[in-house]
This record gives sequence, structure tokens and C-alpha cells, in this order.
Amino acid sequence: MKSKVVETDLLCVGGGIAGLMAAIRGRDLGVTAVIAEKGATRYSGAGRMGNDHFWCYIPEAHGDDLEAFIKECMLTQLGVMTASLGRTVVRTWLERSYEIVKLWESWGIEMKHDGKWECSGHSFPGRTMTHLKYRGHNQKPVLTEQAQRRGVTIMDRVMVFDLLGTADGVTGALAIDTRNDTFIEFRAKSVFLGTGSLGRVFPNITPALMGNNTRPFTMTGDGRAMAYRIGAELVNLEMLSRHAGVKNYSRSGQGTWAGVCRDPEGKPVGKYVDKPDPKHGDIIMEVDKQIFERYRQAGRGPVYMDCAGISADDLAYLIHGLENEGNAGLLAHLREEGVNLTKNPVEFMTYELRSQGRLQMNEKAETTVPGLYAAGDEATFGISGGAIFGWIAAENAADYIAKSSIAAAPQVRVIEEKKEFVNALQRRTQGPDWRDANLALQQTMLDYAGLIRSEALLTAGLNHLRRLKEKTQSTLRAKNRWELTRCLEVLNLYDLGELIFFAALERRESRALHNRSDYPYTDPLLNEKLLAVKRVEGEPKLEWKNTPA
Amino acid sequence: MPPEIDYEKCTGCGICREVCAEDVFFDATEKPGLEKPAVTYPEACFHCCLCVQECPAEAVSVRTPLQMHVPYK
Repeated sequence: MKSKVVETDLLCVGGGIAGLMAAIRGRDLGVTAVIAEKGATRYSGAGRMGNDHFWCYIPEAHGDDLEAFIKECMLTQLGVMTASLGRTVVRTWLERSYEIVKLWESWGIEMKHDGKWECSGHSFPGRTMTHLKYRGHNQKPVLTEQAQRRGVTIMDRVMVFDLLGTADGVTGALAIDTRNDTFIEFRAKSVFLGTGSLGRVFPNITPALMGNNTRPFTMTGDGRAMAYRIGAELVNLEMLSRHAGVKNYSRSGQGTWAGVCRDPEGKPVGKYVDKPDPKHGDIIMEVDKQIFERYRQAGRGPVYMDCAGISADDLAYLIHGLENEGNAGLLAHLREEGVNLTKNPVEFMTYELRSQGRLQMNEKAETTVPGLYAAGDEATFGISGGAIFGWIAAENAADYIAKSSIAAAPQVRVIEEKKEFVNALQRRTQGPDWRDANLALQQTMLDYAGLIRSEALLTAGLNHLRRLKEKTQSTLRAKNRWELTRCLEVLNLYDLGELIFFAALERRESRALHNRSDYPYTDPLLNEKLLAVKRVEGEPKLEWKNTPA
Repeated sequence: MPPEIDYEKCTGCGICREVCAEDVFFDATEKPGLEKPAVTYPEACFHCCLCVQECPAEAVSVRTPLQMHVPYK
């Protein structure tokens, strides 16, 4: 295997919205920036196909009272999604949002509709519209071009799989080229993590097609796993979430659909709307994402998204929104099958389990490790969190970089051990492949740490997972670079799966989707508490913390 | 399985391989421009359809697997 060393002030791991914004801001502030991206920045990440809603506070559209706006937002799914971040982070997010919206508009991402700020979706009828409706189909090419124009070094097809440094400071990272036989050592003053969401831990809705998901297949929580291994703090691993959307064809865009959720007899399942309205859609899906699953289990389903009665203009608006939200493939499928949205209600479902585990981050996008920053699905949520905190991260990283230097003594022994491990994965001629290891993990997570949990189940599951993990580390086999990339992802998933077990054992109560049959009640003493985990002397150390102010 | 290549139309330019973040066209032999791409890891497909949109020869299509067919009334 060939080796190379790359030095930079700021290394951005992941070239999604967050990583690109961090690199752009970093260059504007005079630091050198490299993006290492598993795919290709123009075409990868959860934002690649576009988005049509951007959470932001625009005084001329939302009024002058930011606190009142925040209060309204907390009534929607944003309340759940941002609860553990604390008010300071939420306030900073919104205070900086308008600046980013105007910047994107100036770069050629259409943030305005017919020359105006238009807000719609993810809101209750008759109340403040919390999200800007925009046309984000070109956001990745635009941001990539802005990065290139500023001299950001973009390294596509590179997977960073481990960080260098300790809990006292990050000094670089190790990576492989996903296509060629090259090992890369990054030496950096600061590292930004924006590797996206945490998928492939639990089975998705079509296990034979792992890529059928609301987030891309390659989003495997890499940043969380590698940050944990050098001592960064993770939170919320034991908490679960489930998204909802079109049945079988897993897509985001729940807030874009304009119809009414109805039972088989045509009765609305929620109380908010009884006719299609593209301005806000049927927010019952956001109030209660489990509603589709509950109706099914009770024999009262299926629940349909019914757009009957929608006007031609409103239908065009809906289609336009779905196209910008990455649903072009789904729309093509519906057209091919002769589905007419004005006549044929389509079935909706509650999607698979996901861990809410994320990197702990403050309003400066700092993690608990000096020099290590994070944003996007890694630490915040969604497109606007990625854009705004990617930007903020680079501002703080630039200050950190000004006081830092490249580590004088590279961790030679650690680097050689990692290189040897990667070589061993490729040398093995027998043993399980990434797919077998990934499916075994998913099966274990669902059976022992899924919707039913108890000390007995979790303990048994953790023991089994630890045996699988040991076997995986000693026998996993990669036939080529593609499989090597998957193997490194799966090893990250095993680390995170193990932490989910530890955290689920520690949370001795039931809350939201964390159902402990041995502790079926919600413990009020744990309200506004966060369960944090970090690695101390090789072992996970759990600690209850207050939700940040 | 998605995507599918019409080799009558494919010129072997390799654009589909470059736009695919999941590298479903991964080819261990890697000879860009000399070989026509092949779908080697279809299960990783995210159905973003960028390969369809970017193919200058209109040679790539995405077939929705039966498992993903959407039930409707």
C-alpha cells in the first residue's frame, strides 16, 4: 500500500453541506483547508439531491420577536430534535441563520420564491410558518464551486477512519483512498467532523436493499465513532427516533407532502387538516410519527396520504417541492406505475429505528476535545444546522488554529498499527464480509436493543455483540477497496452499537421510544438530563449531565 | 436491480461512476474510459438518480425494485 502525508490547518471530514461551509469559511479567514470526502462533494451527502425547507429566522418574514419565534418552533418536531442542544445553541442557530440564507441566495441557490422570502411546511395551520421554502437542487455543486474558488483542497473518494490525538487535543487523522491502494496521514491543527447521520445500525425497511433509506448508505456515524475513540463525548445514543414517509420507498420530504393523512375509510387520522394545503401539509405526521405504525398494529390501517381535491397550481407546487427535496426517483416511479396523486392516495409508513446518538457540541460547534469541531447531522440536525454551524465552527477553528501548530511528533506506532490492520483486512482470504457483519449487528440491535428493552435483554445482547465484534475485528475480510471502505464503516458501527447497549442499560426508565419493560415509567428526575459517554482508559464512562442552558 | 445500463447506448465515458457517491459502479480493475461501467454493488443504491440525470448518452435508467414499489389505493 502506498502512503502519503497531507498537512493542513483545517481538515474537514465529510464534504456535505456542513464540511463545505466550514472549509469555505476557513479559507475566508485565511486558514488552509482540506476536505476529505468518501464520495464526491458535488454529488454526495444527504443534501445532494436538494432540499426545499430551511429552518431560519428572517425578521422581515417572522417579525422582530426571536423568542416568540423559538417558542413556536418548539411546538413542532424541532422541539424534540433540538431539546438536548440547549437554548443557547438554538438561539445562536437562528440568530446566524438569516446571514447564511442571504449568502446562499447571493451564490445562486434560489432561497427566494418569485423574488420573495416564502415560508411554508412543517407548521400548524394558521400559525407562524417556521421554514423557508427554497430550491436547493443545486446546493452541492454551488457550494463545491465556492470552495474550489477559494482554494479549498477537495479530496474525493477518501474515507477518514480514525483521528490522531487524545482527549487533550486532535492532531490529525488517518484515511484510505476508497478506489486506489493508498493510505493517507493527515496532519492538521484542527479537525471538523461532518460525516452525517448514523444509519445501518438497525435494519432498514428493505433489508436486502440497505441503500433504501432517508439518508445515504455511506452515513454510518464515522465521525462519532472516531471522535469517541480519542476521548470525545457522545450523547443520546440510547434514544431512538423513527422518521415517516411513503411506504417502501424510504425518502425524506414528509413536510413537503400537501395532502391529508386518512384511514382506509377516508377519515383524517389527525385533527389539523381535512383538505390538502401545500402551505403547511398535514402536521399530524410531525406531531406523531408513530401514527402509521400504530394504525397498522391495531388493524386500523393502512394510513394514506390523500391529495384528492388539490388544485392544479397546488399540485405543481407540491411536485416542485418534492423534486427539490430529492424525490425525483420516487416521482418517476409513481408516474411509471400510473399513480395519479389527485386520484390515488399513496400509503405512508413509520420507518426503521435510528439512534439519536450524536457528538456533544456547544454554540461554538466545539466538541469536548480541543481543536475538534462538529456540525450537521453529526451534532445538530438537518440542512440549516449543517450550514450554520459549519460556518460557525470554522470561525472558532480559525482562532484555535492561530494559537496552534502541527504536532511535532506524529504518533508513529499508532499509525503503523492502523496501517497493518487495514492491510490485514485485505490480506485475509477467508472470513465474513462487511455485509454479513453489518446484518449480524442489525439483527442483534433489533432483537436486544430495539423497541423492547430490559436489563436481561440488554445484558444478553451486549454479550453477544461483544463476541461478534471480536470475531469481526479478527476475521473480517475485504476483497477490494469498496469492501474495505464498508469494513471500516462496519467496525465504526460495532463501536457505536456497543455504546447504545451501555447507554440503554444506564437509562433505567422509559422515555419516548426507549421502552424498558423493567422500568416502565418515566423518571421525572431525569427530565432535562442527558446521558453522555466518553472513553476513559479504554472503557466507556457514562455520566448524567444537565441539558446545556 | 438499480441502476441499469443500456450497453447499446453507453459510450463508456464513466460519468455515472464519477457521480455515484456510493460507488455502485465500482470496478476493481479501474480503467476509466477503456471499459464500460458495470453495476457491481446495487444494494448500496440511494436512488438519487444522479447517474440517470448526468449520463450524456441517456444510457442509464433506474428500475425501482419490487420491494420498493409504493402501495396505493
